[in-house]
Amino acid sequence: MDVTEQPRGSEPHDRLLADRVSHQGDEFAFRELYRRHTPRLYAFVLRLLAGNELDAEDVVQDTWIKAVEKLSQFRWESAFGTWLLGIGLNRCRELFRKKDRNWILLEEEVAAVPCEPLHDRIDLETALTELPPGYRTVVVLHDVEGFTHEEIAERLEISSNTSKSQLSRGRRALRSRLSSAPAGQVRVP
Amino acid sequence: MTNDTGGMLTPEEQAAFEALPKTREPSRLAEERTVQALAERGLLIGRRHRGRWRGRIPLIAAGLAAAAALFVGGVAVGQWFGSRAIADSMAAAQHETALEMAAAVQRTGSAYVTALAALSQLADSSSNGAVAQGREAALTALYAAAYELVQLAPDDPIAVTIRDRLDNLQREQQTEDEQSVIRHVVWF
Repeated sequence: MDVTEQPRGSEPHDRLLADRVSHQGDEFAFRELYRRHTPRLYAFVLRLLAGNELDAEDVVQDTWIKAVEKLSQFRWESAFGTWLLGIGLNRCRELFRKKDRNWILLEEEVAAVPCEPLHDRIDLETALTELPPGYRTVVVLHDVEGFTHEEIAERLEISSNTSKSQLSRGRRALRSRLSSAPAGQVRVP
Repeated sequence: MTNDTGGMLTPEEQAAFEALPKTREPSRLAEERTVQALAERGLLIGRRHRGRWRGRIPLIAAGLAAAAALFVGGVAVGQWFGSRAIADSMAAAQHETALEMAAAVQRTGSAYVTALAALSQLADSSSNGAVAQGREAALTALYAAAYELVQLAPDDPIAVTIRDRLDNLQREQQTEDEQSVIRHVVWF
């Protein structure tokens, strides 16, 4: 899975729209850009924020404001959507940091559970919401969005070893939750 | 590609992660709020945000013209629809939600049609001046409303036809008489 994947030909169009927003403040261009990229951004942010829709919409709005403010500085060395996810991730980090300065290094005692298959998408989604934010962020970035440990390390300002250990713990915590959930009693977020 | 560590994912687990939805639509209001927030910061200059007054002029003209029509009709109909109330409601509506704005359009539209119907019933030879004034105010409001409707729904063929037809009529009128089509409207 490549995080920079985009539909073929979308990049020049994004750039055209972004130029119109940046240079002319064009509302129509912004709306098109917004509608192209917000569904992915919203799903990403919503997952990081454990399904809190109100916070997720606020983060999406803040992300777009920051993105438009910084649009002229964007060098187009990565896909626009990936850049946007990075801004959304930073906003989520600020929210986590308000609650706990060491959120990313939060550790949790998790009983070792042998690998049990994650059968149900709803099971997995629910279990993700129950993870501590530090684990959830790394698991979402790595296993859902396909970021490498080096990319996660850079974006979260941690070492790649920390990213690896958080992923390992996060997966164990996830398996623990999934194996302890009574069959048929899955809570939908 | 990801470089996996910390307990490899089984193929089933990998499939479960890949099956998670990667997109989700936020509420429609989220887009409007974002556009509004950007406009307030001066980062967007859309059709509804071009300067403090530029975008509002047709709306204000429509409000004032509707008020003038109401005033003319109100000579006989009484104080049913005070022009000040219309102007106030239009001004207040600028701060309301889209739903409330839609309700305001319905209210003021009904008032507009009711006043015109009353004016039509009361028209006689003794009130030619007032009727002509009301008719011109109604046309100005109609043009302004068509203009705004086209801004709202550029692909609406009815709105576009009305606006274009009124545009043509206005140009023809100006050619015949080099005065504005709204020359008789009483601005108050």
